[in-house]
Amino acid sequence: MTVDLETKSRVDCLLTDSAMFIDRDELSAWLDCFEDDSRYVVIPRENRARDYPVALIHCDNKARLHDRVTCLRHANKFNPHFDRHILSTARILSLEDGVAAVESNFMIVQTTKTGESKLFCAGCYEDRINVTSPRARFRERIVVLDTFSIPTLLATPI
Amino acid sequence: MADLDAAWPRNDYSRVRYDLFHDSDVFEREQDRIFRGPVWSVLGLETEIPNPGDFRVTAVGTTPVVFNRDQSGAVHAFVNRCAHRGAELVREPYGNCKDHTCIYHAWCYTLQGDLIGVPFQRGANGRGGMPPDFDLREHGLQKLRVAVWKGVVFGTFTEATEPLPTYLGPLMIEHIGELVDRPVKILGYQRQRVFANWKLYLENVRDGYHASLLHEFNRTFGLSRLTQISGGHMDDRHRHSLLFQYAGSDDDQAARQAYARDRVQRGEYMTLKDTAIVRYVKEHPHGITTRIISVFPNAVFHQIYNCLGLRTIRPIDPGQFEIVFILFGYEDDDEAMTGHRVNQANMVGPSGLISMEDGEALELVQRATAPDRDAYGMYEMGGTGTIRNLDTRVNEVPIRGFWSYYSELMGIEPAGAVR
Ligand SMILES: [Fe+2]
Repeated sequence: MTVDLETKSRVDCLLTDSAMFIDRDELSAWLDCFEDDSRYVVIPRENRARDYPVALIHCDNKARLHDRVTCLRHANKFNPHFDRHILSTARILSLEDGVAAVESNFMIVQTTKTGESKLFCAGCYEDRINVTSPRARFRERIVVLDTFSIPTLLATPI
Repeated sequence: MADLDAAWPRNDYSRVRYDLFHDSDVFEREQDRIFRGPVWSVLGLETEIPNPGDFRVTAVGTTPVVFNRDQSGAVHAFVNRCAHRGAELVREPYGNCKDHTCIYHAWCYTLQGDLIGVPFQRGANGRGGMPPDFDLREHGLQKLRVAVWKGVVFGTFTEATEPLPTYLGPLMIEHIGELVDRPVKILGYQRQRVFANWKLYLENVRDGYHASLLHEFNRTFGLSRLTQISGGHMDDRHRHSLLFQYAGSDDDQAARQAYARDRVQRGEYMTLKDTAIVRYVKEHPHGITTRIISVFPNAVFHQIYNCLGLRTIRPIDPGQFEIVFILFGYEDDDEAMTGHRVNQANMVGPSGLISMEDGEALELVQRATAPDRDAYGMYEMGGTGTIRNLDTRVNEVPIRGFWSYYSELMGIEPAGAVR
């Protein structure tokens, strides 16, 4: 659908910022892209297609998302790497009561600490974004992973 | 070819030659002697194919296998390969169909795996066609023998494989049985490809020692600690294993001091904002809070608090395998319980808070052992010699148990081997 340029720009800004924060390993700034009452789910495409609720990362509230980041920072050990998100332009499906439903595609290229890069995954973001203030935030982000046979492991959020 | 005569410098499997994780001849022999040998592999769950015509593609070793349900409700399994020229027959990972038709030349098979249609078998316009003595009945799909136990579907390639209950034995029947004692409901799948040898994963799920050393989440929240009442048990042949744990059976402060003293925990422990993920709702008679149940050669059942799952392992090549996790609950779970299980699924799989480390650890071993294949890994935690059950997780004995049965099937036991 067509929306005013201001709304479009708020959406684009959030999509770009949130991806850049992950790529720069600024996960607390990334957390701040979510509203206090929000959801973040990374789900295999096959589960989404068949209505299975189990995901890879399933945070039904922001406290759980916060905990996920704390675990990554503190407890989890995983393959050291850099991420690069490659984003598509966003498609705005609807705008109701200040919340935009938005779809966009992504690929992530992972690079090891010794400089080898490979395509890690591809998929689609299904977002609901609060665009009422100049700084838009996610109310819900469903990451649908096409690459659902995960190579090695998936630690860093997508 | 690996020098298999040198595989075991000790007869109790307390040394394992790195060759076994890399050699391609070993890998081929495993397909033949293990996966196509006298074992029952887990194919999947009956609830994955509830209706007549439902099918799912799976694998036994590197062999692609389909299992499906026929019109009478019976479950059949066969190699996913057309008997004509070898094309992959079923191309969707799951679905429903009336029969299986190969797209290459439209040869058609029943849900029992029997060939019923060969287009132009008698030729066209009086020319061509199959020889007159061609008999459809002799060219069905290669079938597996199937056994269904409490909703779990097993398959074997060998006529001589012992009956499934004997194969599983009382320990597996008791503990897996407890997890599937009610109709189960599938909550979803997770899949992971690890660039390491499949046997490193079979070691990992028999390795009680690593669970709180590698996985800090376990240690922090006391899901699994070496200070708890726990153990590693096996069946008589040491092919299957059970690692179990009672959370809350140790003292939190004393446990933390023990880990600090042994220089495992170097810093502060983290805390959670939402502790629902580490809440255990007792639902099985044993009251065990975590159990990892490994079924030789390709399956693991897990109960980690209220997260229930079946994992099947598919070797791809000596340096790669895939794990398919089926997470499940029970049909009579209410919405809150389903939500709880879905939340606890955050702990397992490729992104699991207490399992993502395994993918990394296994690849570290694969990479670092590759250049020195004639060197050996060491397995002495819990003692050497006899392979026995121990009520502790400071214990690598179930791994030696695995190697013992593995060697028996592979025909590579050392002289005077401990069994
Ligand atoms: Fe582990």
